[in-house]
Amino acid sequence: MKKIILVIPAYNEEENILKTINNINKNSDRIDYIVINDGSTDNTENILEKNNINHIKLVNNLGIGGAVQTGYKYALKNNYDIAIQFDGDGQHDISYVNKICEPIINGQADMVIGTRYLDKRESSFQSTFMRRLGSNIISFFIKLLCRKKITDPTSGFRAVNKKVIEEFANDYPTEYPEPESTVSLLVGGYKIEEVPVSMNPREGGKSSIRLGKTIDYMIKVVLAIIIDSISFKKKRRKK
Amino acid sequence: MQISLKIALIVILLIYLFCISKSVKRKNMKIGYLIFWCITGLILIIALLAPNFVENISIFLGFGLPINMIFSCAIFIILYLTFDLTKQITKVEKQNVLLIQELSLLKTEMKQLKNKNELEDKDERI
Repeated sequence: MKKIILVIPAYNEEENILKTINNINKNSDRIDYIVINDGSTDNTENILEKNNINHIKLVNNLGIGGAVQTGYKYALKNNYDIAIQFDGDGQHDISYVNKICEPIINGQADMVIGTRYLDKRESSFQSTFMRRLGSNIISFFIKLLCRKKITDPTSGFRAVNKKVIEEFANDYPTEYPEPESTVSLLVGGYKIEEVPVSMNPREGGKSSIRLGKTIDYMIKVVLAIIIDSISFKKKRRKK
Repeated sequence: MQISLKIALIVILLIYLFCISKSVKRKNMKIGYLIFWCITGLILIIALLAPNFVENISIFLGFGLPINMIFSCAIFIILYLTFDLTKQITKVEKQNVLLIQELSLLKTEMKQLKNKNELEDKDERI
């Protein structure tokens, strides 16, 4: 039996976090989780403390990348076999955990990404046009650089095996974590699989990606993954 | 050079040197940076006291006017400095992230240990 942990980054999620945790406790049989409170300025910490939710409080705000990396460090320290990144805002559906872990348990993949675009019937929520366009552009560049089609490179619902937990605990891109970590794994020769999942629209709070900044975000992500693919190739050659 | 301009430049230089000496006293700057600022100050003093010297060098290097040489030098030095600073900031940021993560992990672990100890104490008392 593999030890599985959910890593749940939370920044100012007082409205959603309790619901998310209750869903986890209801739906799955004994899955461990760790909430990373990324220096929230609202009531999140109180809620976590009061309900006795297993969590780490970051002493300062690090952003999603730094928070998730803390989760991987925790998973490595406590000897977990599989770590699943899971949003605290209710967008991800806990019932897909088994499905997302399957390719890892069978040894088919090192990382599995839960993709909302693969099967249109699976996901009632396909997100906005701009976001899809952005995903397509990032996908195109990943295909170009790594020769592997990743349909939803910005998805935050992903499971990784022990080897990748180790890798991420040591070095995790903090600026644009989702696409950048995908590229770094692909360049490093890891296997990535995609599994269709359904995602819900946000239940409350604010998304971390603002519409007005989408274009700025796109340009920087594309640059970042190009730089990553170059620098990681170099690192790999050195090894 | 006009005498009024010269006086203004000297006053600015004096303030500059005063700031450097203050930093030396308070030790709020790394030695490497301090040396850099001192050398810049020295070059400025030389340029002020011996304008002919600067003029000769600029003609020798083919700048035409001394002011062109001074501006070019200043721009390149500032470019280098900002480049170096952005590099340093990135490094410090990375160290900062690592520190926050490790500190937070340790704090959590300590809290868990404390809770465990308290529970055991209670058990013993019962």
